[in-house]
Amino acid sequence: MSVEALAPLASPGPVDRVPVLSMRGISKSFGKVQALDDIHLDIFAGEVVAIVGDNGAGKSTLVKILAGVHPADEGEIEFEGQAVQIPDPSTSRALGIATVFQDLALCDNLDVVANLFLGREIAGVALDEEEMEKDAWELLRQLSARIPSVRVPIAALSGGQRQTVAIARSLIGDPRVVILDEPTAALGVAQTAEVLNLIERLRERGHGVVLISHNMADVQAVADRIIVLRLGRNNGDFLASEVGYEDIIAAITGATEHARPLPDPPYRGPRRIGPVA
Amino acid sequence: MADQRRTPGSQTSLREANRGRIVDAVKKHGGLTQVELAGATGLSPATVSNIVKELSESGVLSTSKSMRSGRRAQYVTLAHASGLVCGIHFSQRHLRIALADSSLTVVSEHEMPLARDHRSDNEIRRVGMLVADMLDNVSAERDELLAVAVAVSAPMDAASGMVARPGILRGWEGIAIGDAVERTLRVPVVVDNSSNLSALAEHRLGALRGQDDAMFIEASDGIGAGILVGGRGYRGASGSAGEFGHMVIVENGPLCRCGNLGCLEAIAGGDAVVEGLKSHYSGLKLSDVIVRAMAGDDVCIRAIADAGAHIGVAAANVASMFDPARMVIGGHLARAGELLLGPIRQVVDRSLATRLAPAPEIVAGQLGPRAALVGALSTAAEHSSAFPAVAGPADLRVALG
Repeated sequence: MSVEALAPLASPGPVDRVPVLSMRGISKSFGKVQALDDIHLDIFAGEVVAIVGDNGAGKSTLVKILAGVHPADEGEIEFEGQAVQIPDPSTSRALGIATVFQDLALCDNLDVVANLFLGREIAGVALDEEEMEKDAWELLRQLSARIPSVRVPIAALSGGQRQTVAIARSLIGDPRVVILDEPTAALGVAQTAEVLNLIERLRERGHGVVLISHNMADVQAVADRIIVLRLGRNNGDFLASEVGYEDIIAAITGATEHARPLPDPPYRGPRRIGPVA
Repeated sequence: MADQRRTPGSQTSLREANRGRIVDAVKKHGGLTQVELAGATGLSPATVSNIVKELSESGVLSTSKSMRSGRRAQYVTLAHASGLVCGIHFSQRHLRIALADSSLTVVSEHEMPLARDHRSDNEIRRVGMLVADMLDNVSAERDELLAVAVAVSAPMDAASGMVARPGILRGWEGIAIGDAVERTLRVPVVVDNSSNLSALAEHRLGALRGQDDAMFIEASDGIGAGILVGGRGYRGASGSAGEFGHMVIVENGPLCRCGNLGCLEAIAGGDAVVEGLKSHYSGLKLSDVIVRAMAGDDVCIRAIADAGAHIGVAAANVASMFDPARMVIGGHLARAGELLLGPIRQVVDRSLATRLAPAPEIVAGQLGPRAALVGALSTAAEHSSAFPAVAGPADLRVALG
C-alpha cells in the first residue's frame, strides 16, 4: 500500500542537537490566576513532543503563547537559536510555527484546494487554479492522505479527512514546528488511525511536532518525548521509550514530582511531611 | 496494464483504461460516491455512471443508495458476494487490519502505530470498532464477515492459545487471544504467530513461491521465523517453533526481554540496534536508522551491517541443521535491503562453504511489512470455507427471501 512506500523524505542530515524552538522560564498570568509558572520546553526537528496534563494544567495557554494569541509575561523564546518575540499570530506564522487548533477553522462551503490556499492563493492576473490543485495533490500525496477529490466541499469530508486538510494547510509555507491541539479528540477509531499515521509522516518530513492530547494510548504510540505540565509548572520531561503509562499518569496527577531542580532556597524551607519521591 | 491486448489508442483501450481507473479508485478508498469517483479519477460524471453501471452488471462493483451533503448519491464499492474475511496483525508497535473478499482482493485496509506495551483489552476493543467501521465503509452487513485470522508477533502456545513466552508482548500475556477476539467480533477466529503467517504468505504469493523447504525470517523490533517443511508450516510440538530471535548466539551475552541471556534478538533486534546507536544519536526510531543508513550515514550503515552479521550466524546454524532451499528476510529491518542482506549472505556462505550443496539463497521478502497481514487474510479465507455452519446463515437468508 502507499502507506508503506518510503515517502520522499526531507534529507535526514546530521542530528543537530540545537533545538528548533526553545522556551525558557515562561510565565503567564490572567489577573490573579497564574496559568504558567517558569515553564521550560525544547523542541527539536524531526521529533514528536507530546504535552500532557490535567485540565487547567496550562497546555492550551502554552500553545497560545507559541501561536501568538497571548504574549508571555516573562521568559524568553528562542527560535533556531535566535531570541524572538511573538506578539501576534502572523509573527508566529512568519517564524515557521504552524498551529492547528481543535476547531480546525476550515470553511465548510469551500473545497479542499480553496481551504488549503485561503489567503495565500497562487495567482497571476487571475487565480492559478491548476497550479494550486497540483500543489494540493502533491501535498496530500506526501501525507498519504485518503481524500477522494480536492474539489469537494469540506462539508462532505469525514472528521479525519478534515483534520488531514487542516494539517495539510498548516504545512503550506513549510513550517519548522507544527502544533496540533487535541487532533484526535473528536474522531472515530479509523480516523484516529489516519491522524496518527499523519503525525508519523510529519516527523519523517523533519518537522518538529508538538502534540497536545488527553489520550495516553495515542501519545505513547507516536511521541518521542512526553512533557508533563501540572498546575502551570513542568512536572517531568520523559523519553517515551523509557517511561510507562503509570509513570506518566503519576506525574500528571501529582503523585510523583519531577519538577526541575530549583536553586537552593535562601532560607531553609519547612520540613516536608510524608514520603519524598 | 490490463489493456495490453487491445490496440493502443483505440476507443476500446481507452474504455478499458477508464474501467481500470475506476476500479483502482474504489479499491484505494474502499467506497466512493459516483460524484467523488468522478473527482478521484478525473473522468466525466457521465462516463463514471456508464462504467459503474456496466461493472455492477458484470458483478465487479456494487452500488447502494446513500446521502452526501444532503443530496442523494450512488455509493460504489467492490462487489463481495461471496463474503468477506478479515486479517489482523498485532506487532510490537503496529496494528494492521484488512478486509478482503474470498479472492483475497483487499477492500479496506488500515494501519496505525501502537503504544509500546499496548494492552490486549484496549486493542481488541479498538479492533472491534475498526472492523464495524470498515464493514460500514464497504457497505457490508455484519454477517458477511465469515472468518478472522489474527497474526501476533509473539510465539503462540497451540494448546492454550496464549502467548507462549513472557516478556515479548507484555500486555497480551495470559489471555486466550483467539477467544477474546471471537467474543468481540462473533466470528470464528484463528490465531497464529506473525512469522508463520508471513512464511505462508510469501510461499503463496511472494518470494517463496515454489520453495517447499524454506524459511522466512522477520527482522523487526523483534526477530522471528516461520519454517516451511514440505510446503506446510512447521509449528513444533507445542506450537511455538521458529523462535529464531531467541536462539542463544553469545553464551552469557546481553539480557534479552524474554529473560534469557545472549539471544539473537538482544544483539541484533531493532531495539538493540537503536540502543547501540544511543551514544551517537539519541531519540532515533528504527525507521530513522534505516533512512539514515540508506542516505549514507556511516554509523547507521555499520549498525545494520553488524545486525546482519549476527543474524547470519544464527541463519547459518539453522541452515546447516535443516537445509532450506531459500531464506527470505522480511520485517522493518529488511527495508534496508542489501545493507542487511549482504552481511547475512556473507556469513552464511562462509559458514557453509565446505558443504557440497550450495548455501541457501538469501533474498528479500516481496510482500514487505504486510506479509503477516496477507498471510492472515489467506488463512482466514481458507477457514471461511471450512466453516459451513457460518457460511450457512447467508444462504438461509436467500432461501427465506
